[in-house]
Amino acid sequence: MGLIAFLVAAPLIVAALLMLFRSNAQRKVITVAGALVTGVASVAFAASYLASGQVFFELSQDTSYLISIVMTAIDILLCAVILWFAVRYKNRLALVLGLVQTVGVILFANMALGAGAEHMLVEPLYTDQLSVIMTLIIGLVGSAICVYALGYMKDFQHHEPAGAPDRRHFFSALMFLFLSAMYVIIFSDNLEWMFTGWEITTTCSFLMIGYTRTEEAMKSAFRQIILNMIGGIAFLFALILIHVAGLELSLSAIIADAGTDAVALLVLPVLLLSVAGLTKAAQMPFHTWLLGAMVAPTPTSALLHSSTMVKAGVFLLVKLAPLYMAIPVASTMVVTIGGVTFVLCSFMAISQSNAKRVLAYSTIANLGLISACAGVGTPEALWAAIFLIIFHTVSKSILFLCVGTVEHRIGSRNIEDMDGLFDRLPHLSRFMMLGIMGMFVAPFGMLISKWATLVSFAETGNVVFLILLAFGSAATFFFWAKWLGKLAGVIQKSTNVEKGVHRSEWFAIGFIAVLLLGCCLGLPLISIDVVTPYLSGQFGSSPELIGIDNLILMVVIVAFIAIVLLTPFGRDTKKRRVSVYLSGATVNSETRTYQGSMGFLRNATKRNWYLDGIFGEKRLKPLGQILCTAVLLMCFAASLIFDPEVLAGGSFFVERIVLLVGPDLVGILIGVVVFAVLAPIAGCLLDGLDRKVSARMQGRVGPKLLQPYYDVRKLLAKEQVTVNGVDEAYVSCAIIFVMLAGGLFISGSNLLMTIFLVTLATLFVIISAFSGRSPYADTGADRECLQVMSYEPMLMIMTVGFFTVTQSFDTAVLFQLDRPIIGMLLPIFFGLLFILTIKLRKSPFDLSYSHHAHQEIVKGITTEMNGRTLAKVEVMHWCESILFLMWVGMFFVWNNPVSIVVALVVMAVVWFLEVLTDNNFARVKWQTCLGSAWLVALVAGVVNLFYVIVIPFM
Amino acid sequence: MGYSSKSPWLIHYDGSSCNGCDIEVLDSMMPLYDIERFGIINTGNPKHADIFLVTGSINHQNVKVVREIYDQMTEPKVVVACGICACTGGVFRDCYNVLGGVDKAIPVDMYVPGCAVRPENIIDAVLKAVDILDEKAKKLAAGETIEKREVGASLHEAVDGELPVRQPEHTKPGAKREA
Repeated sequence: MGLIAFLVAAPLIVAALLMLFRSNAQRKVITVAGALVTGVASVAFAASYLASGQVFFELSQDTSYLISIVMTAIDILLCAVILWFAVRYKNRLALVLGLVQTVGVILFANMALGAGAEHMLVEPLYTDQLSVIMTLIIGLVGSAICVYALGYMKDFQHHEPAGAPDRRHFFSALMFLFLSAMYVIIFSDNLEWMFTGWEITTTCSFLMIGYTRTEEAMKSAFRQIILNMIGGIAFLFALILIHVAGLELSLSAIIADAGTDAVALLVLPVLLLSVAGLTKAAQMPFHTWLLGAMVAPTPTSALLHSSTMVKAGVFLLVKLAPLYMAIPVASTMVVTIGGVTFVLCSFMAISQSNAKRVLAYSTIANLGLISACAGVGTPEALWAAIFLIIFHTVSKSILFLCVGTVEHRIGSRNIEDMDGLFDRLPHLSRFMMLGIMGMFVAPFGMLISKWATLVSFAETGNVVFLILLAFGSAATFFFWAKWLGKLAGVIQKSTNVEKGVHRSEWFAIGFIAVLLLGCCLGLPLISIDVVTPYLSGQFGSSPELIGIDNLILMVVIVAFIAIVLLTPFGRDTKKRRVSVYLSGATVNSETRTYQGSMGFLRNATKRNWYLDGIFGEKRLKPLGQILCTAVLLMCFAASLIFDPEVLAGGSFFVERIVLLVGPDLVGILIGVVVFAVLAPIAGCLLDGLDRKVSARMQGRVGPKLLQPYYDVRKLLAKEQVTVNGVDEAYVSCAIIFVMLAGGLFISGSNLLMTIFLVTLATLFVIISAFSGRSPYADTGADRECLQVMSYEPMLMIMTVGFFTVTQSFDTAVLFQLDRPIIGMLLPIFFGLLFILTIKLRKSPFDLSYSHHAHQEIVKGITTEMNGRTLAKVEVMHWCESILFLMWVGMFFVWNNPVSIVVALVVMAVVWFLEVLTDNNFARVKWQTCLGSAWLVALVAGVVNLFYVIVIPFM
Repeated sequence: MGYSSKSPWLIHYDGSSCNGCDIEVLDSMMPLYDIERFGIINTGNPKHADIFLVTGSINHQNVKVVREIYDQMTEPKVVVACGICACTGGVFRDCYNVLGGVDKAIPVDMYVPGCAVRPENIIDAVLKAVDILDEKAKKLAAGETIEKREVGASLHEAVDGELPVRQPEHTKPGAKREA
C-alpha cells in the first residue's frame, strides 16, 4: 500500500522539482535520481507482490472521499487546460468536446460525490500479476526513456531554430507526470480514479506532441486530443451508466458481474469502455492520432507507443476480458476492429519509408492484435495478449530510441538513408537489428505471442481472424525484413559517426536491450510464475499452449542469435576480401560505381520495395476506416435494438484444447541428429535425380546422379574469399536452423515451430545476401522477401488446418489417427502444392534464385556467395527440399505402418510434378506470384477452415 | 581425380567477334552435345565459375572487363580461349581498336582454334582444361601459390598506362570534315 502511494507520488514530486530547478545540471541530477527511484521502487513492488497474486488494499472511506474530490478537481483542471488551448488555437471541435466533457465531469461528480463518503469503495486499490507486469514496464522502460530524453533533448534543442525557448524542463516534467498517471490507472479499482489517470495521460500527451508549438505539431496535438476525448467521453458516459444502474464503480466488481444476471445491465457500459480502450490503443478508425504523434520529439513517441499511453488502452481491454466472454456483441466489436486494424496497418507499413511511420503502423498493428486477443477473452488469448504487451514494449522502445538517436547522427529518419548503418553506427545498428528481430523473428517473444494468438483463435474456431492473422503476419515479415536488410549492408570504408551519442542514450538503449534479452530468455519463467497464476486466478484454468521443451529450445535459439548478432562470433577476418560483381565494369567498388554505356559513370543503387500500388495508404486507409466505423456503429445499434438479456447470452464456440504429444528435448535432439545426417544424403540424391530427370525431359543425357555432391565438394575446396566477412556466419546460422526445423518435424514435435524456423533460416540467407550490398544479390533478396510473403499465409493456414483436425500441433499425433488428415484438408493440400513451387524455387516462381540459365539477376540471392558459403546454401536447399516434401507426405500418414509407403509414393509423385512444372513454365512476374499465391491461400483457407470448424456443430 | 574436374562451372564472355563462336558455345549446351553430361554449368557469375571461356578478340574497351571478371573468379581457375579471334585476334587483329587475343589481357591455359570453333572442339578443350584445374586445386590444397602465366609485357604498358588509341585523323575532336 505504502509502495503504491510512493510509486504514484515519487514521479509527481520529480515533476514538481523539474519545474522548480531548471538548469541543465540540476535537471540531469533530478531526472537520473527520479528514474532510479521509480525503477527501484517498481522492482521492490514487484518483488513484494509478485507471489501474493490479487491483493486489495483497504482505505478509510473518508480518505477515499477526499481523494475523489481531488481527482474531480484534477478532471476539471484538465478540462480547463483543454478549453484554454482550444480557444487559443481556435479549434472548434476541441472546444465542443471539451465543453461536453466538462459538463459530464461536473454531472458525474454531482452524482458520485453527492452520494457521500459512506458510498465510497472500501478497497479502492488493488494489485495482481498483470499490474505487477505493468508496474515493471512503466517503472523500468518508462524511466529509461526519461533518462534517454536527457541526451536526446540536448541535441533536439541544438537543432531547433535559434531563439526557440528552452522548455526542456517542462518536457521532462510531463514525462514523469505521465508515469505517475499510469500508476494511477493500473492500481485503481475505483473507476473514477482510473478515469482521472486516463485523462491526465490524454492531456499530457497533447502537451508533449505539441511541444514545439509549430503549426504541424499543434495540428497533430489537436487531432490526438479530439480522438482521445471521444474515448474519454465514452469512458465518462460508461461511468454514469454504471452509477445510474446502481452498480459499484469498481473494476473488479463489474468484472465479477460477468457470471451473474447483472451482466445484462453492463452491455452498453462495456461497449463504451471498449471504445475508450480502442481509442487509447489507437485502433481504426481512431488510429490517426498515433501517426500524427510522430512529429513530437522521439522520447514522446517512445513513451506513448511502447510503455505507457497505448498500453493503458490495451490494459483496460485485457482487464475487461471476462466480460467479453459474456457479452458477444462487445467481443465481436473489439475482435473485428483489432483484427482488421492488424492486417491493414501491417499492409500499410510496407508502403512507408519514414522509419518512425513504419514503427507507428507496426505499433497500431500489434495493438490491434492485443485488442483482438483481449476481445476473444479466453485464458489462452489473454496469455498471448499479455506476452504481446511485454515484448512489444521492450522491442518497440529500443527501436524508437535507436531511430531517434540515428536521426540525430545521420540527419534523417528515412529508411533509405540507413544504408550501410552497420559500419557507420556499428553498435546502434546492432541494437536496432536486435529490436527488429525481437518484433518478428521466430524464437523472440513477439512471435511466440503471435503463435499463441494463432492457437487461441484456432481453439475458438475464429476462421476470419485466423485468415487475417495469416496475411497480416506475412506482411509483417516483408516490411521488417527489408528494413533489416537495409541495416545489414556492410560498407568497408565508412566513417564511424557514433561518437556524438550521449551517455544517457547509450544507457537507456543498452538497458532496454538487456531487458529484451532477459524477457526472451526468461520467457518460460515469466509464463510459469507470473502469467499463468494470473490467468488461473481470473479464470480458474491456466492454458498450456506451447510445450515447455519447445520454449526451452526457443530460449537457446534466442541466445544463439544474440551471440551471432552482438559479438564478432563467426566473422571471418582471414578470408581475402573481394569487390562485388558489377558486370566487370567496376569503377569504384565502394560506391558501386560502374562504367555505363556511352561513357557515362553510373551508380548502382537499390531502393527498398514499397509496393505502393497495392499496399498504399490511399487505398487501404479509407477501407479500414469505413469497415471499422461500420462495425462500431453496428455493435452499438445492436446493443440498443436487441434485448440486453439476449446480448449478454455468452459467446458460443467449441473450445479445442491443445494436445501436447510431442517428444521431450532428448527426443528432439535425436531427431535433429537423424535429420542432419539423413536429409543431406537424401536431398543430394534427390537433387541429382532432379537434374537427371530434367535433362531427360529436355531430350538430354544429363549429369551424373551424384553431380550435386561433386559440386559441393568442389566448392568446399575453392579458395575462400568474401565481400564482407559476415555472409558465411549468417548462412551457417541458416543451415543450423533448417537442421533444427527438420529435426523437430521428424521427431514429432511442433509443426508451427518447424515452419517458423524454416522462415528464420530464409531470413538469415536474406540478410546474408543484403550484407553484400550487391545490386544483384539485393534484388534477389528483395524478391525472396516477396516470396516469403507470398507463401507464408498458406503455411499458417496449413498448420491451423492440421490443428483443427488433429487437436494438436505436434506431428507425432499423426500416428494416433484412424485416417489420414487429407480427408479433411483436401483444399489446403492443393494450396500447399501450389506454394511448394515457390518454396522449392522452381519455375514459374523462381524469382529470387534459379538453377536455370535464364536469370537476369545473375544468381540472385547467391550472387556474392562462393566457395564454402555457396556449398552451405546448396546443402541447405537439399535439406529444405526433403523437409517440404515431408510436409506433403504428412497428409497421408495415419496409425498404419503402410501409410508411410503411401506417403512416400505421394511425395514421389508430387516431386515429379514439381520437376515437370519447372521444365514447362516460364517465369512469371512478381505480381502474379504474390497475387496467385494469396488468392490460393485465401480460397483454400476459407473453404477448408470453415468446413473443418463447422463440423463439430453438425 | 579431384572434384574440380567433375564440376567445372563456366562463365562465358564474348569480346570483339562475329558471334559465330558464341553460337557454337550455346550449341554445345543443346541436347545434341549436352555439356551438362560432364557436370558443366554455364553460371554467368564469375564468383561461382571455375572456367573462363572467352570468345572473340580483346579490344581497348573490353580488356578491363575481361581482367576484372578474371580477377573476381576464385582459384583454382582456368582460361580457355575459344576460336581464332580469342587466340590471336583472328581477322580483327589489324583493326584500330583491337589489341589481340585473350592472352594480351589475362593468362590463357588452353587455346582452341577454329573459325568458328566447333562444339566438339570446345568440349575437348574444356575437358583438357579440367586437368589443369585439378592440378591447380591440388596445389591450392597443398598450400602452394598458383603461379600466374605472364601476360605480354607490351600490353601491360598499353593497359596500365594511357591507352594508345589509334584513332583515324578525321574522327579526332576538332578535325575538319572533308566535303
